Order: sequence, then C-alpha cells, then structure tokens
Amino acid sequence: MSNPPPAWVQALKPASPQGTQLLTQERAQSNIDVDTLGNLLHTKEALQKQDEILNVLKGEKVFDKSRNHVLGRTEKIQLALARGKRLQQLKKVHNWTDEEVYVANELVAEPTPYGLHASMFLVTLREQGTPEQHKLFFERARNYEIIGCYAQTELGHGSNVRGLETTATWDPSDQTFVIHSPSLTASKWWIGSLGRTANHAVVMAQLYIGGKNYGPHPFVVQIRDMETHQPLENVYVGDIGPKFGYNTMDNGFLLFNKLKIPHVNMLARFAQVDKKTNKYLRPASPSLMYGTMTWVRSNIVLQAGGVLARGVTIAVRYCAVRRQFQDRDAKAGTEENQVLNYKMVQIRLLPLLAAMYALHFTGRGMMRLYQENQERMKAASQADQEKRGAGPEQLRAGSDLLADLHATSCGLKALASTTAGEGLEVCRRACGGHGYSNYSGIGPWYSDYLPTLTWEGDNYMLTQQVARYLLKSARAVLAGKGTANDTSRILQAYLARRDKGASFDILGDDADIVAAFAWRTAHLTFETLKYRDVEKRSWNSLLVNFWRLSTALSQYLVVKNFYEAVTSPELTSTLDKDTAHILRALFRLYALHTLEREASEFFSSAAVTVRQIGLTQTSEVMKLLDEIRPHAVRLVDAWKIPDWQLDSALGRSDGDVYPDLFKRASTQNPVNELVFDPYPWNENVLKNLGGGAFKAKL
Amino acid sequence: MPDFIDSLTLAEPSGPSLLAAERARSNISINELANHLLGHDGFLQRQSKVLPIILSEPLFKKSTQANISRPERFKLALARGKLLRRLADKHGWTHAEHEMAEYLVDDVSPYMLHMGMFVTTIREQGSDEQRAQWLPKIEKWEIIGAYAQTELGHGSNVRGLECQARWDATTREFVLHSPTLTASKWWNGTLGRTANFAVVVAQLMLPDPKAKGQNEKETKYVSYGPHPFLVQVRDLKTHQPLEGIVIGDIGPKYGYPSMDNAYMLFDSFRIPHSALLSRYSSVDPETGLYSKPAQPTVVYGTLTYMRSKIIQHARLVLARAVTIAVRYTAIRRQFADRDSPPDDKSTELPVLDYPTVQIRILPLLATTFALHYTGLAMQNIYNNTRKEIESGDFGSLAYMHSMSSGLKSLCTTLAADGIETCRRALGGHGYGGGSGLVQLNTDYLSKVTVEGDNWMITQQTAAYLIKKVAIALNPAAKGSGSDEIDLQFRTYLPRVQAEDNTVCEYDILRNDWDLVRAFQHRATALAYDAYQDRVVRKKGWTSLMVNLHKLSRAQSQCVLVTQFYLALTSNTDLSKPATDVLWDLYRLFALFTLEADRYEFFACNAASKPDLDAIPERINDLMSRIRPHAVRLVDAWQIPDYLLDSALGRSDGRVYEDLFNRAHRLNPLNKITVNPNYWDDEIVKGEGGGGEDMKSILAKL
Repeated sequence: MSNPPPAWVQALKPASPQGTQLLTQERAQSNIDVDTLGNLLHTKEALQKQDEILNVLKGEKVFDKSRNHVLGRTEKIQLALARGKRLQQLKKVHNWTDEEVYVANELVAEPTPYGLHASMFLVTLREQGTPEQHKLFFERARNYEIIGCYAQTELGHGSNVRGLETTATWDPSDQTFVIHSPSLTASKWWIGSLGRTANHAVVMAQLYIGGKNYGPHPFVVQIRDMETHQPLENVYVGDIGPKFGYNTMDNGFLLFNKLKIPHVNMLARFAQVDKKTNKYLRPASPSLMYGTMTWVRSNIVLQAGGVLARGVTIAVRYCAVRRQFQDRDAKAGTEENQVLNYKMVQIRLLPLLAAMYALHFTGRGMMRLYQENQERMKAASQADQEKRGAGPEQLRAGSDLLADLHATSCGLKALASTTAGEGLEVCRRACGGHGYSNYSGIGPWYSDYLPTLTWEGDNYMLTQQVARYLLKSARAVLAGKGTANDTSRILQAYLARRDKGASFDILGDDADIVAAFAWRTAHLTFETLKYRDVEKRSWNSLLVNFWRLSTALSQYLVVKNFYEAVTSPELTSTLDKDTAHILRALFRLYALHTLEREASEFFSSAAVTVRQIGLTQTSEVMKLLDEIRPHAVRLVDAWKIPDWQLDSALGRSDGDVYPDLFKRASTQNPVNELVFDPYPWNENVLKNLGGGAFKAKL
Repeated sequence: MPDFIDSLTLAEPSGPSLLAAERARSNISINELANHLLGHDGFLQRQSKVLPIILSEPLFKKSTQANISRPERFKLALARGKLLRRLADKHGWTHAEHEMAEYLVDDVSPYMLHMGMFVTTIREQGSDEQRAQWLPKIEKWEIIGAYAQTELGHGSNVRGLECQARWDATTREFVLHSPTLTASKWWNGTLGRTANFAVVVAQLMLPDPKAKGQNEKETKYVSYGPHPFLVQVRDLKTHQPLEGIVIGDIGPKYGYPSMDNAYMLFDSFRIPHSALLSRYSSVDPETGLYSKPAQPTVVYGTLTYMRSKIIQHARLVLARAVTIAVRYTAIRRQFADRDSPPDDKSTELPVLDYPTVQIRILPLLATTFALHYTGLAMQNIYNNTRKEIESGDFGSLAYMHSMSSGLKSLCTTLAADGIETCRRALGGHGYGGGSGLVQLNTDYLSKVTVEGDNWMITQQTAAYLIKKVAIALNPAAKGSGSDEIDLQFRTYLPRVQAEDNTVCEYDILRNDWDLVRAFQHRATALAYDAYQDRVVRKKGWTSLMVNLHKLSRAQSQCVLVTQFYLALTSNTDLSKPATDVLWDLYRLFALFTLEADRYEFFACNAASKPDLDAIPERINDLMSRIRPHAVRLVDAWQIPDYLLDSALGRSDGRVYEDLFNRAHRLNPLNKITVNPNYWDDEIVKGEGGGGEDMKSILAKL
C-alpha cells in the first residue's frame, strides 16, 4: 500500500474538542439504559450470538472490507464468491444454523452470489415440491450439491407474471416438457445468482397442454454442466452487466432453444400434468403460498427498521461530532455549534430515528399476527381451504384474517421500504460533503438496498392490491357484512360517527392520534369507493387515489403498532420510566410529523382542525425535537450495530471520525500509488511508466 | 456461442414503431422548440460541431467504463482529458466548444477545476499584474491548477477554516501551515493527483500592530479572515509534492470516480508575498499593514459564479433523465387495462398511460423548462452584476448572492431528486447499467452538498429576505431598496398584514398571472412571519431554521414560476402548437408545486380551499393534454444518444436489442467461468485448482 505519511503529519491531531469527547458528553447527558433497550429490541441471546459470529468473521482475512470500494466489477464479484464459500465452510466448522449464517451475512453486509440459491431457490423447492421432488432436488440443494436460482422476470416483463413469454409445452410422445424462449424479450432477466453461479434454475414458464395455455408454472431446469460449469446445449446464459448497486451479485439472463426436461421437473405440489391422461390437475390449493409471501413482506418491514438504523446511527453520531458555524445568537468567540443542534438537521434526522423504531415494532407486530394466523389455519378444516380459488382476491374480504394480513403486508412493504430507502439518502445528505465519500458507509449501502423498493412487488403496483381490498371491505361493511378484523372495525367506526364529526384531541391524547389516522383512512376509502362505484370512474384514472389510500392505511398501521408497542406491559415493565417516556416521545414525533406532512388529507377529512395542524407544526413537533435531542446518541447506540458492520469513518461508536477518514484516504487508497503526468501534450498518463501511450481496455 | 440467439425476434409491437406512433400524435415542431431553447447562444451549433469528432475517437467509447476499478477509471479519465485538450488545439475549439466536448464525454474530468474554479479565481481576484503573469500559462496548461478551500473539519463555513498564512515580516513571505489534522484541505477536485498549482484559501495572519514583539516567536498574530493564495504544490518535472506539503486523493466516493478529490497539508511552507491574490485586498510588504476590500462580500463572487453555473446545468441534467423516462415508459407495456373488454385483456398498456407514472414524470418534464428559464435569468443577472462590480458598483452583489443560494439549493434538489424519481419510474431496468441513470445519479448527487450544503445555504437567502421586510416596513427607508424583492414586498406586505386578509383574491385555476401572484403572496407571507419571529419576537435563530428553509424554498419557487411566466409572455419565436403546450407545462409546474405545499398557501389565503380541492383534477386534466406531446417535448432537448448512453432512452426505441447487446457482448464478467462449489477454494475454473486464485484474492486485501 501507499507509504505511511511523514512524521509531522502523523503527529497532527484534529482541532479540539475531539470527536471522542463530544460523543462521551452526548452519552453523559442522557440516562437511557442502552443495554436493556437493546435487549428489548433484539433479545439478549441474539446480541450474544451476534458478538460470537462477529469474532469469527473478524479473524478471517477474506472478510477484510478495506478494498470493497476500489475493485472493478469482475474482481469484486470473485471476492464476493470467495466470501460466500467461506461463509458456508464456516457454517460447517461452527455448526451454524441457517439463521446464524443469515446473521453472518448481515455483518459482512454485501450480497453474495449464493444469495438467491439460499433464499428463493430453496424456498420454492420446499414449498412447491412434492416429497419425491424434495428428495430429488431440495435435499441436494440444501447441501449445495446443486446451486440454483429463481427465474421469473423477463427482459420485457416484470411485475405482471401473466405476461411472461417463456413456454413449457407438454410433449406426450416422450413425456417431457419443452422449455422455449420464443423471442428476445422472453429472455429471463435480473435473475440473481444465475449469471455465473447457478447450475440449476426454477424457471417460471407458461404451461401448454394440447395447445391450451394454463398460465405460469415452476419448472426445475439444469442449465450448466456439473463438471465444466459451461451452459448446456440450447441454453444461453450470462450476467446482465454492472448495476446501480448489488454488483457483488450476478443477476443473469437466460434463453432456451426447445430444451427438453423430464416430467418430474415440474414442481407438482399445487399443479401437475397427469402422465397417462395428459390432463392438468390441481392436487392442492395454493392459498398457503400467500402465507409465504405475507411472511416475506413482513420480514421486509422488520428489516427496513434495521436498514434505516444503519444510516441513522452514522448520521446521528457524525452530526454530534461535526461542528459548523457559531450560533448566530451566541457571544463572539464561541466555538462552532454541533450540527445536531440545528433544527434543520434535527427535523431531518430525528423523525427518521423515530421511524426506525416504528418500523421495527410494526414488523414485530406483523410477524406475531402472521404466526397466530398460521396456527389458526392449521386448526381450520381443510375442506374450507379447498373451495377457494388461487388469488388473494378470492379470500373472503372482511372476514378472513389472512386476507387482511396479505393486503396490509403489501401496503406496509411499500411504505417501509420507501421510508428506509429514501431515509438513507436523507441521512447521507445530512452528513454534508463527507456523506458523499464511500467511507461514510451510507452510499453503497443505499444503492444495494434500492432494489427492495421494486422487488417482491413494485411499490407503486402493490398499492393497487391494497386499494382493491379496502374497497371490497368497504362494500361489505356498507352491506352490513363486515366482521371482526381491524379494517372492518375502522370502517364501521367511521360510518357510526360520520354525521357527528370527529374532533380528535391529537395534542392531548395519544390514543386519539391513532384514531385520527384511522379516520383519515376510512374517509379516503369511502371517498374512493364513491368515485369507483357511484361515479363509475375508470380503474386507471384512480391509480393515484389508490396509492394515497394505501399510504394512508399503512401509515395508520405503523402508528397503531408503534402505539401498541410503547403502551404494552412488555415494554413498560422492562424499561425504566425515563426510557419508556422517551420511546413515547418517539411515537408522538413519528405520528405528528407524519400527520403534519400529510396535513391536507387530515383537514379535508375533518379528522383534525387547521388550528391543530398549525400548532403541531410550529410548536408540538419542535418541542418533541428538543425533548429527544439529548438522547439521540444513546437511542442509536441501543441498536447495537457493530462498527465492523457499519464500516463507516463517520459513524464510529468512539467518535474518532477525522483520524479514520484520513487514515483510509492516505493509506488504504490505491489511487495514491499513481504518479501522473498532467500535461496534455504527453500521451502517457503515468510518470513512472515511462513512455508508451495509455491503452484503455475499451 | 449458440446460434439460436441471433435469430430471435422481439415480441410485437416493437420499440421503433411505438416511438414513431408517439411522434405522429403531436404537431409540435421539434426543431423550432429546440432552437427556442438552445439555439440562441449557439449551444446546438456547438453540439453538432463537436459531436462527430468525439464519436470518431475510440478513447471516448463508454461501453465498459462501469466495470473497471477506480484507479483504472481514473487513468482513463485523465487520458480523455488530455486528448480533449489536444483536439481543442487541433480543431481550434473555443473555450465554449471545449466545454461542450467535456459535457458530451460526460466524465467528471480531472482537469475540471483547472478549467473552472482555478482560472476563474485568478481572473476575478488576481491583480492586473497577477493576471498578466499567470493567465497565459494557465490557458496553455503549462501549469495545472486546483482550488483548495474546504477542509476535513470545515465545509460551508468559510470563516471556520483552520489553514493559516502567517506574514513573516523578516523574509517578507507568507508561511502556510496546517495546525491540526482537521485543517487538512479536503474534497478539493483536480488536486489529488493532477494539479501542480492550487489556489489555497487560508486565514490571513498579520502581526498585531499594537503588540509587536522583538522576534517572530513573540509576535502576536491577528486573523484577517480567509484569503486566496496562489501556491505551487508539485514539482513541474517529477510531479512529486514539494517538500513540506503532503497531498493525496481522498478515496472512493458515491460518484465522481474519475475525479481526484484531494487532501493537502502544509508544514510551515513558505510562499512569496506575490502569492496573495490582491485585486481586492492586499498586504503592504513594507509595513505588513492590511488594506481591505471596498466590499467584504466580494470574495464570494467566484462562489456565486459557480452556483449560477450549477443552476444552468440543472436543466440539462434533468432533461437527460426525463428524456430516458419518457421514451422508455412510452415503449414499456405492463398489464392490460382493468376496464378493457374481456376479449381484449391481452393488450398491455404503455406505462406512460398510467396516472401513477404520469404524476411522477410529467411534472418533471415541466420542471426542465422551469429550470431553463430561471437559468437564463440567472445568467443575465450574473453578467450584469459582474459588469457593475468591475466598474466598482457592488449594489447588486448581495441580491445576487442571496438569490443564488436559495436557487442553487432548490434547483439542484429538484434535479437530483428528479433523476432518482425517473430512475424508479423505469421499474427494474432502471436499476441496471443500461438505464443511463446510474452514473448520472451518483455523479449529480454531489451537487446537493457541494458549493454550499443545500440546507445550510438557505439561511443566507432567508436572512436577506428578513432584512428586506424590515426595510419595506420602515417608512423612513422607503425608496431605499429597488430590487425585485423590494418591489414584491411593497406590493404584497400590505395585503399580508391587512386585518381582512381572509379572502383569497387569486383565481389560480383559470388565470395564469394569478398563479404568479399566489406564489409571490405566499413567499411574502412567510417572509413576514419570519420577520415577526426573529425581529419582533426575538426568537433564537437556530430554533427558526426549519421555517427559514421553508421561506427560502418558497421564494425560490416563486422565482421559478415568475420566470417561466415572463418567458412565455415575452416569447416571440414559437408558433401556436408549441406555445400552447408550454403554457400547459407552466400550469402543471406551478399547480404541482403549489399542491405539494397546499397548507402554506391555504394558511395565508394565497389560495382558497375549493380551489385547492380542485387542483388534483386540474393536474390530471393538464397531464392528459400534455401526454401526447411528451416524446416530442423531450426530443426538443436534442440530447444525443451518445450522451444519454442509455439502452432505455435511445431515440430510435431499440430498447431490448440494446439491453441484450450490453449484457451479451459488452459485459466482461461473462468471460469468466466460476467454480460454484463452496468446498472448493477455486473461484475461476481452471485458474486455481489448488486454491491459487483464492490466495491471490487474499493477497490483494
């Protein structure tokens, strides 16, 4: 690496006060019990496990992060594969569970080329395979004897699964399926782990029997030779090229030229072709699958809190260390002010600090509901399940907890991932110029997270499902058929009080804040229902309304879950009074700041008055910022994100920001090994290469 | 390579036929509108002169640059920067033509600061003698310069800089010194590896005339604030830093991989008296006495110039993103219309027909025009002000500086957020390298914190506005101010203050001028509130910051709306079809902006509740009127395919062929075959059976 800087540079210290002192002061001015709060968020066992795994990873050279940002794509992905291999080897050595490997991967904090094998490939084989197929594919896949991916989206087709072009045609003469790509836009595209890594794929293709299309179905297809790793004949596969982020993953393309696969390769738990009769059969209802999707989305909501927490941890610590400008009202000669004392910094960061807690508790609440529901479904009669169709719309709206969970998980996934994704960028900008450096630890993390806003359902597209469900529930409630789920309840409550008015005391009573969010959601639902059913407006013309409706419902759910968490006996009995009080303040900040930003919908629906909004904006939110400010550093400390995971000079827990930035720039930066020839009339770019013109690999 | 790939066709209808259909739907003349936008100052002529030369040089091919490592990417950019200068000499390019070439190649050039801030600072702050000595060398690139102001611990607050220039009376030299680590210069472009000279901004330290000591050690020094010094930093032969200076590149960033942003430290480094750029302030070499500039803010002139350039650049940046988004969403189809008849469920709709896509893209299309007209206005103001300053009149400087702060903040935020909004509207492919929005996004995001952080600098605009309210309210001072702000406040303050300000006077849905008035009214009302809070109620500055930011934004939005309106009312070169669509774009921009802050308009009676409630319908209506012209409107920005570098935004619509070509032929990763088994340490097949390649990967860490 570069030569160490000269002695006079090594002797330099940052101007006083030092970052370490400032963070010590920050921690001294708050009495929040960081450990108890940390245990409440993550459990003591999980935090201990995290420490153990962290120690293992730190001892492995291959996980050294110092060169992460300087490699070219080709080198980068090779390193990522090396890391993925090492993680699996360590799993064996230390007898890690899948959950523990997941924790290790989170600490390494970049996708590995095994990512989609370990998630979607295994899940699909397990959920959609028969016992025979489990033996044939799932068992081997679990041992990494076959490496797979999940190939659904195509070059010309994303969220709309029904539009896929790849075909699987049943050939009764030799009892095979013929997998084929009829056009260029039929190429599978974006498929993680496919480009260079996988030798198998679950391929979603339109099933044709006797000329009739039965819609998209999953097929297991071997795509590469198990020895040479070269593509099989009539398979064309590769990586799709560099991306905004996720460059350690080999997202791939895949084309088939009439490739034959055996009958057993169609995943047959929910649909199959009878070998003897050539008939299409549906042995089981796929409605349980919606449970899996609901689980995946609840997980995204829970993770969104943690994703955002990384950005907020970095920004809060750095803004406590960074000082800029004297306070205009302070005496001359006063030191520069910590930027975290500026209201314009607080108004950006502290609501996000509140949001990361809000999302965490909401994700937890969703998971709990999901598990309760799984128990109930197992107990319910199978006969009842059989009669239903495939889509979530066919579940009985208004009466079914799963329908409620499915719809609300769509909306929450959209809101949570957008909040986290956009929140990270707000954190990066709040760090000022240094936020733009990759040593900030935010930029690459943000660009790796961004695809979450479009996968598992594009955030805008998903909101239609939520709206459809709300309109259905509203019709049921109007017809007197609504039942005991929460959505029906808020719609009924609205109808009961519609003529009396709302008058919620949002500044005096926290439960009223939740009620105001419910009211606004119900109001928008009935208004949209009027557009659709009475005024007969087209579906398409209402898409913006649907998006607003979904956002309103999801914000209500976050506010409600957060409120339930901060008032729960579990929390109030675990935490000391002061800490519980600050969490209550975080709830109020999240809710009132959201209310203020969506002010017009709240006063249009008469949930609150213009005067209340004015007071919220100018007084209540500002008071909450003042109240939370002294505790900000301890509130991020409680998330217990290890420095090694953050990999950020700005967000170090000890506050030693500037020496770290300088060390990374001067000693871990290969650009400083180049000595340039700056004159345009000399063609050579480097001094120490002597003659010879620059030859780029173009 | 399997032969079945080459025979594959595309699912119908194809991109080219869809774009042709789009262009046939509109009667706007692309050339007429292009000339209106970019013809007057020769922009289009320069573009068509320079582009063919760039296209003929293999060094400017963009196809694989996203794959290479940072050191390689940087060397490529330097090679390109050199070649551009040689081409400029060969073809006799003007400065503007050279800039055009840089714009098309679209690297952040390692020479950028040399061509921008460095030369501008010497020109604006150098004495006549200094100009004569240095400008010819700079123009010939015999010396390569950078501009070193910000430090590791100090950004927007120039007064907080730690780097010192101490006057040594005995040798008549300045001594440059970095007393701490946070005093290290930081972020300075072109300096990390490229420059051999730099303008260094340092605290000017002069002996306190009241307490002069016997020798240098006893002398007490007083700071006269930050001043610019011209300093040689590297040897002109070996290109190594001079003794007593440490310089390097600060490492990888979110974007800007081709720029060598620097750190730099001085160890009591001596520079001659002539190093101080002394057009406005100077130190007498005999007495060590300071003569100060007639106007203290004059040193901010260069910064103001950079900001006005940034504002003008914003329109073209956003136009690129919108061009890609409009063309691709006109081609991309997804889902059939739910209300279409059951027998026609197979025809998927172009996503640009979805209101959820329109509401994201079409207001941004309108914003490109809003930014354009304000950019032109800023340029005029800057040129006029420069002339006045040269002739010793500093009257407009404060106005220009304060407006440039607020506008820089708003315009770059609009463009940066707009790029990302466009990228997400493209769905999954927006995330891919073929979108053309990856480098644009990561490079442009630097703009929201550079040359003054977008949140911090709005204080300058707000402070200026509060001062102006005080002047307007003081009858004794009447007539003392005469800039645009004074006029606005004189018109609207009486209305805002009036006891009966409860009825809204503006017909924002039907009257274009009333839209301007509503924006002026609301900005004035916020300025008046801020004045009340700060001056009358004496509230703390820090506690008001959120409101001050809102005030600056409101005034800057008001400038955008006003300039858009004025440009359309005074336009003479456009025929009716284009004029009509531009008026719709004006309305869409104004109403969309207004709706986002509807509470502010409502609270001060700049808009009535019934009108506010009707805005969403009106916006839908305007979007459906603009929709058929969308492709032609972006065509009018005349952004060459080479600059777009986007499979999705190609002007011919051959989206999918291009995406596939990039993945299939231009992607170096597909040349390696990996070993996927985790129990084998081999990573690339055939290269490391015994784990050699794993060893070589580890060796590089």
